[in-house]
Amino acid sequence: MQSIKKFTKDLIRLVESGKKRIPLYDKKALQKIEQGFRKWKAEKVSDYDKDNWRITPHNIIGSEIERDLLYTPLDNRNFDYLLDSGNSGQEPFTRGIHPNMYRGRQFTMRPLTGFGGPEDTNKRMKFMLDNGATGLNILFDLPTIQMYDSDDPLARGQVGMSGVAIDSVEDMTLLFKDIPIEDITISIVTHYPSNTAILFPMFLAMAKKRGISWDRLRGSVQNDVTLEEVVRSSPEYIPPRDCFRIQCDNIEFIRKNVPLWNFITLNGYNLREFGASGITEMAIAITNGMETIENLISRGHEVDWIAGRLSFFWSAASDFFDEVARIRAARRLWYKIIKEKYNSDNLKSTWMRCHVQTSGISLTREEPLNNIIRAAFHALSVIFGGAQSLHVDSYDEAYSVPTEEAALLSLRTQQIIQNEIGVTEVVDPLGGSYYIESLTNDIESRIIDEIDGLEKAGGYISSIENGLIQKKIAEHFYREQEMIENKEIKLVGQNVFNSEKDTPPINVFEYPVNTEEKQRKRIGDLKNRRDKKKADKALRNLEQACVQKINIFPFSISCAEADCTVGEIFKVFKKSYGLWSPPIIY
Amino acid sequence: MLERKIKVLLSKLGLDVHNRGVITVSKQLRDEGMEVIYIGNALPEEIINIAIQEAVDIIGVSSLAGAHIQLGQDLIKIAGKKHLNDVGIIIGGIFSPQDVKRLLEIGFDDVFTAGAMKKDIIGSISRIYKKKVKNKEKKNKKF
Repeated sequence: MQSIKKFTKDLIRLVESGKKRIPLYDKKALQKIEQGFRKWKAEKVSDYDKDNWRITPHNIIGSEIERDLLYTPLDNRNFDYLLDSGNSGQEPFTRGIHPNMYRGRQFTMRPLTGFGGPEDTNKRMKFMLDNGATGLNILFDLPTIQMYDSDDPLARGQVGMSGVAIDSVEDMTLLFKDIPIEDITISIVTHYPSNTAILFPMFLAMAKKRGISWDRLRGSVQNDVTLEEVVRSSPEYIPPRDCFRIQCDNIEFIRKNVPLWNFITLNGYNLREFGASGITEMAIAITNGMETIENLISRGHEVDWIAGRLSFFWSAASDFFDEVARIRAARRLWYKIIKEKYNSDNLKSTWMRCHVQTSGISLTREEPLNNIIRAAFHALSVIFGGAQSLHVDSYDEAYSVPTEEAALLSLRTQQIIQNEIGVTEVVDPLGGSYYIESLTNDIESRIIDEIDGLEKAGGYISSIENGLIQKKIAEHFYREQEMIENKEIKLVGQNVFNSEKDTPPINVFEYPVNTEEKQRKRIGDLKNRRDKKKADKALRNLEQACVQKINIFPFSISCAEADCTVGEIFKVFKKSYGLWSPPIIY
Repeated sequence: MLERKIKVLLSKLGLDVHNRGVITVSKQLRDEGMEVIYIGNALPEEIINIAIQEAVDIIGVSSLAGAHIQLGQDLIKIAGKKHLNDVGIIIGGIFSPQDVKRLLEIGFDDVFTAGAMKKDIIGSISRIYKKKVKNKEKKNKKF
């Protein structure tokens, strides 16, 4: 008998339909309300509003979901408080993963930093911590992200730009000099499974050298196939299946050896910024999460072994209430998936923990100070949504990496939210709003529908291999540009309300000079100093592991400890796995 | 006889990962009737070589990650060395206002920043193309 693959949508629907619902609203009350509503609509609502009862707000990376003029209990007829909402810290976690949310633990203020050489970023990290940041968030330069050394011809002119240059354990050591890594949570933005398997070993080797045992380290890596294979332009890719396997191998190693570390931050943000609605963003990240869980279950692990540390990374764009509702929707949906599809016994496994970054692509180049306002609204929606950690993009987003002043202002935005306006004193303050609950339901069902589509198309990894995802994204961002050009999407100061005067100049960040020179010299010195035999042996052992398709993480650690460079390790991956050409959609 | 299409080579400059903008422009130019070749990430040397091979009229490069001055200079230098005087070279991306000026000084025919509109890019390419064609005709007339 052939086993029928159960689709997530069907599974959840089955379980949910078996639950006895006790609607919040009394039937008689609803009848009266409905009568009254019809009368009100007929008598009080203008013809124009009647004809345009539903409208679609348009914004960058928006959901294009229609909204009614007014929401009432009639939009949530079957709302069951305990089944659909629950209290905070209670199934299905719509209202938040903890009972006391921000009263118990404030959201982490985790500003992104990265530029120049390790010493430069070290300084900026200390500046942010001195000014009240409660977590670190490190971004690497493009050569490092793309896994080329600072002295590689491909890296020319790009070392230390838009991120910090890291070539070896020595750089990692300098990066974290005098930073108490055992006391702060650190997000190391290793976007890809491949560079996670190169850079995180360097971090771990550095921690070991400092005498800090790995079981004390807390933080996260990204480690997401979406970023390596979909959301980046690169001269060289390894095949998606190898990449996905490395993603799961990384998770397995980290889970076993660095128990408090979030081994994957499902994306999320970069995918959406590239060109996807908030719905697609979540559908893809959640599907990726499920395929990852299933891969690890097939290796003999329990769902609770992995789900507890699995986390998400979302973006927050301009459609305010949509952004609030979707975090709530994702939380409820993830709970249903882990509980009802994977039969988890542990409630902690069902928590959709997330870091959110306010949307960069929603900010403009014209009148950059307007972006301070935009980012503040984005940030506020995140807090109403109940995220665990936040980064606020800076107003000079369309110019360069943030200046110290701009980065500080972003941090202040978070601190004002946390300390001045009272929104963190009450849990899920928008819960119960007819609009928010209706929108939460709507968004959840749209996400499930898109997950269903992906699963029926063969799953996420297949959809990457055959270009389905890339095509969808390209169509989205092309259409979005058209909407900006014809002003369906309004950007104040940019395509509407353009000022006659030129935008007054702002200070723009200037990169430290000579980073490339410094890094080149450092690599040279490193290669002279190190035990060449040890380094070569480590690389050869790594190559063997790659070819055998076993978990390369421990071998990468040996390479890091032997002072191999980022580029040297990536060359082994390329050689062993071969290169993949993404299908040409563009 | 069919009117000759403007031929454009588009490329990411260096290792920059962000390609949403250049892909959008690629489609916009194609929709406008231009012939577009998009080669993904490349260094200046490769870009110029392909431009020569493909006999393009315009080279457009995209850079959102800070490498525009260094690699931009390299690109213009190599173009000069290979006598690509009849090819327009434009750049788009994330630049400070000072860098926009610098890029024009370095020799780019036009510079586009975040928020650039389709009509501005297409208008610019048409102008640059017409000017280059005129210059070429002038040179040919001399013989």
